[in-house]
Amino acid sequence: MTKTTSPASARSTGRRGEEITKILFVVPAAVAIVVLFGYPVVKNLVMSFQDYTLATFFTGEAPWVGLQNFATVVGDALFTKALVNTALFTAGSIAGQFAIGLALALFFHRNFPLNRVVRALFLLPWLMPLIVGSAAWRAVLEQDSGILNVTLERLGIIDSPVPWLASSDVALVSVILVNIWLGIPFNLTLLYSGLQDIPEELYEAAALDGATGWRSFRYITWPNLREVVGIVLMLGVIYTLKVIDIILGLTHGGPANATETIATQSYERSFVEFKFGQGAALSNILIVISLAFAILYLRATRRRIDE
Amino acid sequence: MKKRLATLAALVTLTPLTLAACGDDSPPANATVDSLTLLDYYSDEPTNSLVQALVDKCGTAIGTKINRTAVPGPSLIQKVLQQASSKTLPDVLMLDNPDIQQIAATGALAPLGDYGIKTDGYAEGPVSAATYKGKLYGLQPAANTIGIFYNKDVLTKAGVTPPTTWDELKSTAKKLTTGDQYGFAFNATADFEGAWQFLPPMWTNGGDETKLKDPQVAEALALWKDLVDSGVSSKSVVTWGQGDVNDQFIAGKAAMMLNGPWNIPAIDKAKVNFGVVSFPVNKAGQTSTAPLGGEAWTVPQTGNKAKMNKAAEFVKCMNSDENQMQRAKDGGLVPTKLALADKFKTEVPSMAGFVDAVAHARARTGKLGEKWPDTAKVIYTGMQLVLTGQAAPADAMAKAGA
Amino acid sequence: MSARRPRAAIRTAVALVLLALMLFPVYWMLNISLQPSGNTLSGTFFPTDPTLAGYRTALQDQGRNLVTSLLVASGTVVVTLLVSTPCAYALAQFRFRWISWALLALLISQMIPGIVIANALYTLYERLGVLNSVPGLIVANAANAIPFGILILRSFMLGVPPSIVEAARVDGAGPIRSLVSVVVPISRNALITVGLFAFLFAWSDFIFALTLTTKGTVVPVTLGIYTYLGAHVDNWSAVMATAVLACIPAVILLVVAQKYIAAGATGGAVK
Repeated sequence: MTKTTSPASARSTGRRGEEITKILFVVPAAVAIVVLFGYPVVKNLVMSFQDYTLATFFTGEAPWVGLQNFATVVGDALFTKALVNTALFTAGSIAGQFAIGLALALFFHRNFPLNRVVRALFLLPWLMPLIVGSAAWRAVLEQDSGILNVTLERLGIIDSPVPWLASSDVALVSVILVNIWLGIPFNLTLLYSGLQDIPEELYEAAALDGATGWRSFRYITWPNLREVVGIVLMLGVIYTLKVIDIILGLTHGGPANATETIATQSYERSFVEFKFGQGAALSNILIVISLAFAILYLRATRRRIDE
Repeated sequence: MKKRLATLAALVTLTPLTLAACGDDSPPANATVDSLTLLDYYSDEPTNSLVQALVDKCGTAIGTKINRTAVPGPSLIQKVLQQASSKTLPDVLMLDNPDIQQIAATGALAPLGDYGIKTDGYAEGPVSAATYKGKLYGLQPAANTIGIFYNKDVLTKAGVTPPTTWDELKSTAKKLTTGDQYGFAFNATADFEGAWQFLPPMWTNGGDETKLKDPQVAEALALWKDLVDSGVSSKSVVTWGQGDVNDQFIAGKAAMMLNGPWNIPAIDKAKVNFGVVSFPVNKAGQTSTAPLGGEAWTVPQTGNKAKMNKAAEFVKCMNSDENQMQRAKDGGLVPTKLALADKFKTEVPSMAGFVDAVAHARARTGKLGEKWPDTAKVIYTGMQLVLTGQAAPADAMAKAGA
Repeated sequence: MSARRPRAAIRTAVALVLLALMLFPVYWMLNISLQPSGNTLSGTFFPTDPTLAGYRTALQDQGRNLVTSLLVASGTVVVTLLVSTPCAYALAQFRFRWISWALLALLISQMIPGIVIANALYTLYERLGVLNSVPGLIVANAANAIPFGILILRSFMLGVPPSIVEAARVDGAGPIRSLVSVVVPISRNALITVGLFAFLFAWSDFIFALTLTTKGTVVPVTLGIYTYLGAHVDNWSAVMATAVLACIPAVILLVVAQKYIAAGATGGAVK
């Protein structure tokens, strides 16, 4: 029996096939994310409500304690300090990394010899194992014989050696500076790519209208770069909130807790004191803070798309 | 494929950790064992190869192949926890002595007394470290501790002798502080290493880790503070690990240092003429006491009786007289059997300064057991509060949470 | 214009000074790797008595590990780009109702501490029997980089004018065709950048290398350097030499990749 297909139904089967294809674009990523991140997210959340200790790994028992872990960690004498340090560390790092990264990206935007090579070499800090990086920085920041103090003294900028890592007052600043250094390649590379994607014609047209320099930045560069800036800042904040390796490598959270952040506290609770429930509670608090920023970002990006 | 998907699904949804009933389907205790798995943290050379040689030797002696895995030091406990969750603990597990009681408290280790292992003739420190609730859980073949290294040439030139009291330490160090050379270097970082280095002054002065607010501990803190404030020790001690302290000593930036014998190969290579003395005492009548270092072999509860028996045999073998001497010579350690002390002194004269110290070395977990890590944290925090001038020695420990 | 030549030269000079400042710690690492004592306290600005002992040790021990790292990193780049690109395109151009939720999920995935993920993966890999395998490490590193890839690529793809894609669709191209023939070439900069970071994440990963290997059969170089870092004693010159050697193939790849991040990718298409 022959079946005549009307043009309308032919179009709709075609459209459904297309819908399926569109979904398939997303499926592999979705599977990867659910498998890799689904279990840890849920487990981490549940663990923060349990009395999860060393023994739990061997016996499997983790009694439910409700909000007690959260109460304990928030009530801890160090919590406020860690929170403040986290805020300072994140704000300082992001401001520094982004400003310098953007300035460098704009600088590299023009053609000049060795542009490519120098830009590639800027990523070298990311190729160094972090243990090497922190050892190198500890040697550089050494109070007595470190090259930074030696140079600053020779140049007459300081009178006596600065206790970069040995003083509770200065240590947080030092750690922020090193983290800025670490974050510059990330910002530079992404912002540079974003700049490269802005069509030359827009600049040429603006130049014809007399808009160059600062004005071309404000009216051409910035609006076209906003989407990339948004994601760079968003991911920057999320990643910076999580940072522990560089802090622990430089100061172990000291001297006298001067460089403890929520992230380092979370790590220490779990993997040094083996109070995994409390460590998980702290990392979840951090996730909530990140979420606040994430929601801001999503609102902003949605508004931009709808425009 | 379907089975794997099912496993994936089960793991992805929330699965509580349940202890699978260890069924008695394990082979009888006297079945032949082909191989044992072993985990330790001797992943660096040359220690890695030297330990491998001993492991192979004992494997041959007990007639079993040993599959050995070595991981970096800081990640051993992580690995142990991962393996515990997945029920894949090794048959033989090396543990740093302060960790033994914590792990034993979880029920993961088998009491070695069940396999006829006795500790007669062993130094007291290793035994107390490995004993939890009256039962022995680990046997340690060799141990180390820390003492004062001094640069013989520098001291001779300055016309001073190595210090025996705290006052002498301060005055000798003062005479030796010239140019960019500090008199004395030690490690005071905000981690277990910093706490470990504070134990000699604390214990020698009669301070106790269970009573941190006592004046004896405050006096020890005052010593550390005086050394830095008077300029004989660098302010950077709060950032230096023991490795950094050794670097300072070798480079001639410190005339004396508090450190351990594992540095001797590097010191010899740099051709520094060194001597070793025990940590000085504060008042007459006190005994110099230093903390116990070194690792022990343990037998995890794997449920396989035959393998556990073999593992205990392996642990016994690694602790034989011959193997203790070998391990000690390889690793800059001292054998834990007291009877071997004299022989060891004659065979390895450079370690003579440490042999007696080890015999009296005290275990960190001797009194506190699994509560040691919390106390260690208080100790290093209090110490750093004093060294950064944020607290006076008298109330630093209280401020640190004692 | 004659004025431009010296201008460009000045820029190069400034660029090199900035680079020198940025790379000073890396230089310090190089300095130490050539010192005979292997002391982090080199004291001298230049290695006055350079020795290649550290390099000889590193080459002997780490050659195989370098290859392993290269394989894992390259595999990660391929898998990450293959999976992220269509997803990013979909989230940028298609009108799904649940896009905000998807983005939120992606962002949340980036908030989890690496060690938490590694521990969970260990159990999974152990059951599946894929510990100690290069493909296993590739999958782990790729899955870790995919959300990052999607988020970054999406941001770039939002800049692709819908008119271009419309034009392709009018010509009869389905969604796959539009992606491959139109969007991918335009997004070249973004793809290379994401590939670059995927490579760097995988190359410098330590936590998966440590957790997902139990024997010494598959050892990325980040784990391999622990041959020189004992519980007490550190052989810094060998560590630094390894780090330097490990940089070389990666730097070559980076320089080559940067060549392709050129301007004007979008411009031509609009015309």
